Amino acid sequence: MIDQAIVHTEIALDDFLPIFVSSALVLVFGGVYVGIYTAVKVKFLKPWAMSIAYLFWLLTAYCLYVMGSLMHVGDFTAKALVVAAIGLFLLPFAVYYMQHQVHEENEH
Amino acid sequence: MANNHLTSESKQLATWYFTFAAILFGAQLLFGLVAAIQYVMPGFLYGLLDFSIARILHINALVVWMVFAMFGSVYWLLPDETGIETVGIKIGKLIYWVFVAAIVVVVLVFLFIQVGPADDTTIWFITEGREYIEAPRWADWGIVVVALTFVANLFLTGMKGNRSGIVTVLMADMIAFAGLYLAGMFFTDNISVDQYWWWWVIHLWVEATWEVFVGAIAAYGLITMIGAHRKVVEMWLWIEVAMLFGSGILGMGHHYFWIGTPEYWWEIGALFSALEPLPLVAMFVHVLYDWGKTQGAEAEKGNTRSVIKNKPAFTWFVLNAFGNFLGAGVWGFFHTLPQVNLYTHGTQFTSAHGHLAFFGAYATILVGMMYIAVQGTNGIKVLKNTKASIWAVSMISGGVMGMTVALTIAGYVQVLVSRAQMGATWAAYFDGQSGAWFTQAMDWRLIMGTITFLGFILLAKDLLTTGKNPVHER
Amino acid sequence: MANKSVWSDNRFWQRSATWVTGFASILLIWLTLDTSAQISMGNDEDLKNGVQKRVPGPTVINYKITYEMDAKRGHEVPVIGEKEKFFGRDDYSEEEAGALLHLGKLGEQAKNCMDCHTILGNGAYYAPDLTKAWIDPAWGPEGAMQALTGKNTKEEAMAEFLQHPDQYPTHARMMPDLGITAKEAKGLVAFLKHMSSIDTNGFPRNFGKMQGAVNGK
Repeated sequence: MIDQAIVHTEIALDDFLPIFVSSALVLVFGGVYVGIYTAVKVKFLKPWAMSIAYLFWLLTAYCLYVMGSLMHVGDFTAKALVVAAIGLFLLPFAVYYMQHQVHEENEH
Repeated sequence: MANNHLTSESKQLATWYFTFAAILFGAQLLFGLVAAIQYVMPGFLYGLLDFSIARILHINALVVWMVFAMFGSVYWLLPDETGIETVGIKIGKLIYWVFVAAIVVVVLVFLFIQVGPADDTTIWFITEGREYIEAPRWADWGIVVVALTFVANLFLTGMKGNRSGIVTVLMADMIAFAGLYLAGMFFTDNISVDQYWWWWVIHLWVEATWEVFVGAIAAYGLITMIGAHRKVVEMWLWIEVAMLFGSGILGMGHHYFWIGTPEYWWEIGALFSALEPLPLVAMFVHVLYDWGKTQGAEAEKGNTRSVIKNKPAFTWFVLNAFGNFLGAGVWGFFHTLPQVNLYTHGTQFTSAHGHLAFFGAYATILVGMMYIAVQGTNGIKVLKNTKASIWAVSMISGGVMGMTVALTIAGYVQVLVSRAQMGATWAAYFDGQSGAWFTQAMDWRLIMGTITFLGFILLAKDLLTTGKNPVHER
Repeated sequence: MANKSVWSDNRFWQRSATWVTGFASILLIWLTLDTSAQISMGNDEDLKNGVQKRVPGPTVINYKITYEMDAKRGHEVPVIGEKEKFFGRDDYSEEEAGALLHLGKLGEQAKNCMDCHTILGNGAYYAPDLTKAWIDPAWGPEGAMQALTGKNTKEEAMAEFLQHPDQYPTHARMMPDLGITAKEAKGLVAFLKHMSSIDTNGFPRNFGKMQGAVNGK
């Protein structure tokens, strides 16, 4: 009776609000992270602001964790969320690296 | 427009498209207001113009005005990109009038005939009754002919002239755009099969081909408005295409959770939905980055002047990057995973997401293109912000944001009362609709909708009076 | 000049975009083939032999349909039970039931149902979801609608309501008279009953829980 182990999980009534708030914040914080990163790179902000950017990424990851656990996501979705968090972390690096390369090649 | 600075017939045609698009935009808002009033006062126009009809007109006007503005945008940028006049422009102009006439007929039938008996004649001549693509079957075929002519114009011009990266992306994108419409043109008794293919049109249009279209237009806009480097912008466009199609095509999975389709779509939908915001974040960064770089390069030359040649258009383009991220990204993501979508599917949450996403991702950039067209038509070197343009953009975006927040609150009430507690029955539905939070939210939605509409009037005024306004540099 | 990097090569990204799009499209087409097979409509034989289809054949209208928790799948699924009369008969042939469903589906489109109601959760949000309307307790023996319409069965109450919705208001937001004929109403009810038998992976959750879910057997 291994199949019986799949328990039917329900979202608790009180958990809906934290779920909606945390999942909205995932992208808000994520956007702030990427935004600050870019702003520092194009010199709109001083370099020390970069640590704030990473702080926002941590908040993003935390919100993803809260959201995922309150929703009782399965193993697969949990992994997908981790991939998304890492993807978001790497995204601005990749974008900036590529943009920079092209600018270097074309303007010097 | 008497004193016209346009030498290209393609651009001339583009202005026709933009004009009709703007009229339909107004109609969309007007019928949206009717529907919003009906939520607050259910007796309003009952039996004359019922909610269903107001809503059909609201959402179809939305889709059609966007398609018109998209076609207009392409006709506008083709001469700039390819360096030649659009091939087959005469047919393009003829088809424009065919398209307009067909739409007028469809709208009149929706308004005055509304419904028909349950037979094929109704499906062919009155309504197909499938949300967003209610247009009767004869009009479907008309749309196919119109779209094919448009695609032919685009392809012939692209192949004859200089085929830039932007034009190449548009060519590929528009053929997918036209082809996908065919997926919505058949009848089946099986509602699950019906919904399966219906999403091919709705999702693959809105979350794949339209998004890529926006990427291409944004690329063109960045080059024309702030003089961004073409090679950078075009390379970035290809990356966006890869990201958008890579996540968007299988992102379809999030519509296949509950329509009778197998459970494996839960995993597919969850995975690709989690990835879908990434290109939106990236698009946002890209605009910021290019702006910073171009302005920075000018600053190095000792030039502190703004690099922006069209202030209102640029405002709308920035709003697009932001709105796409907020509407499609944030508002999409928080109800996309199956565990929570089970409760939010088919509530006002979807409607909140729909309002902000359509506005943020598409309306903004298309209005931006209208400003670019107004600038070109009147031969203006630097188009500045005016009082009306600032008020218009603030009222429209503030109004839409207000509606979105109100609908989100309404959706939250529905999720708690109608879904989680009472299990989605008829009684549960109306209990949810009667709560104080819900009815209050609907009042606010109407207020915010009215503000949006007033903002639109200012926008129309600003676009129409730009030609005579002396503040712009010529 | 900096070294040419593959990451900043336009051709590389153009090819990547093409490959990614092609790969995603092929995957979608492959999944579509699999899903299409799984959601194709069953037939009368399947129902008689107890073969479970995600979308049963139209003759499902000859049977009682309930919505019950499946411990293995962790959510509710429609259960097709014993025979049940539908407008006084439980022996609709494949052709008869198919014709009724066809009429009902045409009616659902011709009357723009989806522009007020949701169907399988898609549509407008101005009126209740119809996915499982057939098993809504409101239309059952204990519900208000049979008494309100003066009918003794669920299907007759529904058909009566559909023909004269403005005479039976359940809320300030009334359904308008859409000129639905008696024949069309019968087709629409068959469409609703058929739809309630579709396996929607547990949507909607806890349907009718508060009123006590309808028990099949």
